Amino acid sequence: MIQRIDECRLVLQAENVHLGTGPLDGGAMTTVNFHLCGGELALVYMEHPEQGTALADVFSGLIRPEAGTVLFLGRDWSRLPPDNANALRGKIGRVFSKGAWLNHLSMWENLLLPQRHHTRRSDAELHDEAMALADRFGLPGLPSGRPVQCLPADLQRGACIRAFLGRPVLILLEDPTAGGETGLMAGLINTIRNARDYGAAVVWMTSEESIWRDMTFPASFRYRFVGRQLMEVPR
Amino acid sequence: MSGIEDTTTHSSGSEPADTASTGRVAAIGAWVIGQLRLLVMCFSAGIAVVLASARPMTWRSTVRAEFLCQCHLIGTRAIPIISLTGIIVGLGMVYQALYWLNIFGQSGFAGRFLVLVLVREIAPLLVGLIVIGRSGSFMLVELGSMKVDGQVHMLDAQGIDPFLYLVVPRVLAVSVSMFCLTIILLLVSLTVGFLVCSALKATDFTLKMFIVDVLSAMGPGEFMILPMKTLLIGFAVGVIACLTGLSVTGMATEVQESLPLGMVRSVLATFLISSAITLLF
Repeated sequence: MIQRIDECRLVLQAENVHLGTGPLDGGAMTTVNFHLCGGELALVYMEHPEQGTALADVFSGLIRPEAGTVLFLGRDWSRLPPDNANALRGKIGRVFSKGAWLNHLSMWENLLLPQRHHTRRSDAELHDEAMALADRFGLPGLPSGRPVQCLPADLQRGACIRAFLGRPVLILLEDPTAGGETGLMAGLINTIRNARDYGAAVVWMTSEESIWRDMTFPASFRYRFVGRQLMEVPR
Repeated sequence: MSGIEDTTTHSSGSEPADTASTGRVAAIGAWVIGQLRLLVMCFSAGIAVVLASARPMTWRSTVRAEFLCQCHLIGTRAIPIISLTGIIVGLGMVYQALYWLNIFGQSGFAGRFLVLVLVREIAPLLVGLIVIGRSGSFMLVELGSMKVDGQVHMLDAQGIDPFLYLVVPRVLAVSVSMFCLTIILLLVSLTVGFLVCSALKATDFTLKMFIVDVLSAMGPGEFMILPMKTLLIGFAVGVIACLTGLSVTGMATEVQESLPLGMVRSVLATFLISSAITLLF
């Protein structure tokens, strides 16, 4: 492990992270040790979706651990001023398991919101990139209308477009193929491969046994919750 | 023995009473502390909104778009209802004032009367109440639902500060819209009142005389009070609606429960601000 860290550009590092009971009532996890470099993909198996949300929150610096440190691009979340932390979070793409869409905005505005907020890229440029991603995820175009008017399958694909838009450094995927979205798998794997090629680190959290047991899944590392700990599982 | 019995009887009889009174005092104390905490929270949020809006970094394209969108929802879309209210006020108050003052031969006081009653007091209060009912309640429910649905969490996770993106534009939009809507209400009510009065030949004023009379009755105080009242009432309504909505922590039913609370707080704040400014100036 130490040799691997020396060789790569460390994107995410969680050392002896210990969480209290607050966000994880029911004792979902207490100890997390996690390292991920640019270009790597970690597959995390969880029994409950809440575990994935909590883990993604810890990695994004939204939950402050009781003990231990979480470093993103070498910077400790707990030592960052709020503005800097928010700017860093702009480099993270995420597929959410819950509450992914602002209902008062259209799908198009929802998709572009993080990029419009954190960058000065033109809408035309963002539109082109989003269209290319939509094509990869099997959509003929960008979803239109309000999120409540869209089909669940389109929302799931839209969530993937948003997560990969703007070449994020870290991509957190909370059950991206939940709800039987198997048609998304091939496009997602291809897009992840491209993201890894440019140096992004990807964490795929799943509660689906079929994905966890699939030995052809191109994960660099596999983790699962054992009791209250996140453990690396040898391949 | 009898003394012991007396003491026992006395202590056992007063203990529940003491406990009950202590409980009552504790409840009153908790309520007072809760209200004070809310007041401090509103003040802090208000100051934070002012400070945040003064930073150029706040006004990213997304925040600007949200501000304009809220101005449209709170301001532009309220113009019909404000105009209708203006017509009713024009018929019910401006016309009546001009008519009766003319009958009693006191037409010279019309401008002063309308400025003192309509411009200084009634217009800001009326528009404030309409904005609370139409936009404040909507904002409270909208933000409460966003909190419950995890949309606020989603913004946070994307590095978009919910305070900057949701609260600042809404509070400022309510404030600005409140001022503009009050001006519209005044224009409509004064125009309608005068036109009806003229049509019924109930006043000696010409349009030019009426305008001059109303404007000359407005001193520097009135020019200051109107923007101050409307902007502050709008600001308070926005802060209270946003804070009450975002303070929802649990289930969707909590949003419904917080709605009347937010409305009452907003109405109280409106009356308090209006009275305080009237007393000060």
